[in-house]
Amino acid sequence: MRILAIETSCDETGVAVVEDGRRIRSNVIGTQLAHQATGGIIPEVAAREHLRSIDPITDKALRDAGIDLKEVDAVAATVGPGLVGCLLVGANYARGLALAAGLPFIGVNHLEGHVYANWLYAGAGAPDGAGAPEDVPVEPELPAVVLVVSGAHSDLVLMEGHRRFRLLGRTIDDAAGEAFDKVARLLGLGFPGGPEIERAAKDGNPTAYPLPKAWLADRYDFSFSGLKTATLRLVNSLKEKGELPVGDVAASFQKAVVDALAEKTARAAAEHGVRSVLLGGGVSANGPLRAEIQRRISVPLRVPPPRLCTDNGAMIGAAAFYSLRHRGPEMPAGVRSSLPLA
Amino acid sequence: MSAILALDTSTEWASVAVYDGTAVLAEETWHAQRRHAEELFPTIERILSHTRAPISSIDKVAVATGPGSFTGLRVAIAAAQGLARGSGAALVGISTLDVLAYPHASSKLRTCPLLPAGRGEFYAALYQERNRKWARRSPFIVGPLVDICRQIGTHTLFVGEIDALAESTLRDLLGPLALFAAPASRMRRAGYLAELGWNELAERKQQPLGALEPIYVRQPAMGGSFAQPFAPPPSDDVSLGLPKRSS
Ligand SMILES: [Zn+2]
Repeated sequence: MRILAIETSCDETGVAVVEDGRRIRSNVIGTQLAHQATGGIIPEVAAREHLRSIDPITDKALRDAGIDLKEVDAVAATVGPGLVGCLLVGANYARGLALAAGLPFIGVNHLEGHVYANWLYAGAGAPDGAGAPEDVPVEPELPAVVLVVSGAHSDLVLMEGHRRFRLLGRTIDDAAGEAFDKVARLLGLGFPGGPEIERAAKDGNPTAYPLPKAWLADRYDFSFSGLKTATLRLVNSLKEKGELPVGDVAASFQKAVVDALAEKTARAAAEHGVRSVLLGGGVSANGPLRAEIQRRISVPLRVPPPRLCTDNGAMIGAAAFYSLRHRGPEMPAGVRSSLPLA
Repeated sequence: MSAILALDTSTEWASVAVYDGTAVLAEETWHAQRRHAEELFPTIERILSHTRAPISSIDKVAVATGPGSFTGLRVAIAAAQGLARGSGAALVGISTLDVLAYPHASSKLRTCPLLPAGRGEFYAALYQERNRKWARRSPFIVGPLVDICRQIGTHTLFVGEIDALAESTLRDLLGPLALFAAPASRMRRAGYLAELGWNELAERKQQPLGALEPIYVRQPAMGGSFAQPFAPPPSDDVSLGLPKRSS
């Protein structure tokens, strides 16, 4: 089954063609550059950009896949969580396309998309994909604990089976990726902050400065605002002394974030006796995070390639396929800024 | 069979119609408020079933391009682009103010359609017959009624979304120069959008779907923040994964 899938929940316009929920036939991502000048995403600007690019990117996704709309079996789009004005563009475009082409429309939860990115592989036909079609990687084993961390989410989820999710914890303030961005700015590093901090931290001593843990005791929730404030105070006091060892601060900050994420993920994996741990979202590209989680768990850790960790259409296509195969939470008729996984 | 499907979600009022070049086959106009996304597609399907027209008979799509609610405009434009991409239909955009003014062309009066622009302001434009040609004679305007009225020097027929407050403001500002269409005839109806779209497509070549832009008039407000883009923090119960308490 071929699904044409559309993602417009934030600032990436993503359209993909995915076969049987796993094989990527095409995956086109238009990253909006308008936001770099403003140093943050302005929802109205993002929505305008989505409307401009949704049709050309869909056209390219079909051409990259080498198929005609007649060879598509269903159309999917993200319906939440996300920026409502942005979600509306992708969801209404997809519904119009589905109605006119006589195809079913599947509304997809964006977070399910990040989870199902772990089921994807690049088919030989995909222009950016390596590997022959016979190299089909095995599916992740369930149940699993899934950590979705990006500039917009920090969620810890128990996946008991296909489309059977339980939210174990999430951030009560900033997302992990936001904390990386803010501290990177503080240290005069570039954007996005995750890779910049990771690079600066390589030459730093992670135990140079004691920083508070980014978590709440006895719960699976995260909190990054206390850590952020402590880092700000530390940087200010170091600046007063006329010395700012960027590497040491970056390493200490990174360690505090990584420890919190890894500790909770590992504890959830042990408590629920899962058979694998899955990552998703842009921050899962962080090397020390992967290493620290792997060190603390005894089951396989799966991380999608970087291009599938950040927002993209292919992950929506994967999630849509499994939502046709397995009953699960109903999707709303419209779109929702906040949409629970279960 | 050849037919045009017309979609308009420019404001809290929405409208959908099907027209075949000689008659409006079905039309629905409703107060969608902010439920466009939920209600647009069920309405399209209902309209198609009323006309007993299969979706395959739709070979043209017209959409209202504003000015209006930014988010509202994008709902119908995105849907129209998707419909056109999925069916191969020709797509045309018509200004929402053009649609409002069009049925009053035969009045020979200068006509000023008004649509709410938020913060007590309105979108407007002036339409008039000149040399036996009915056309828009001003740029698209946005501002408070007092500013819009500065451009009105003669008897003018006001149509569109005019509430009691706006009507009394216009009467205060313009006195006997302000004329008002009856409530039913000042509404915005997609049947007229369909007619205008049909005529427009007969005259010009089809453009790329992605080239269809809303008429925003205003720049995006830069005050928006992405600090808390999604849900507010969950309650303790939810974050601990406890079953929901019925309260
Ligand atoms: Zn995401």
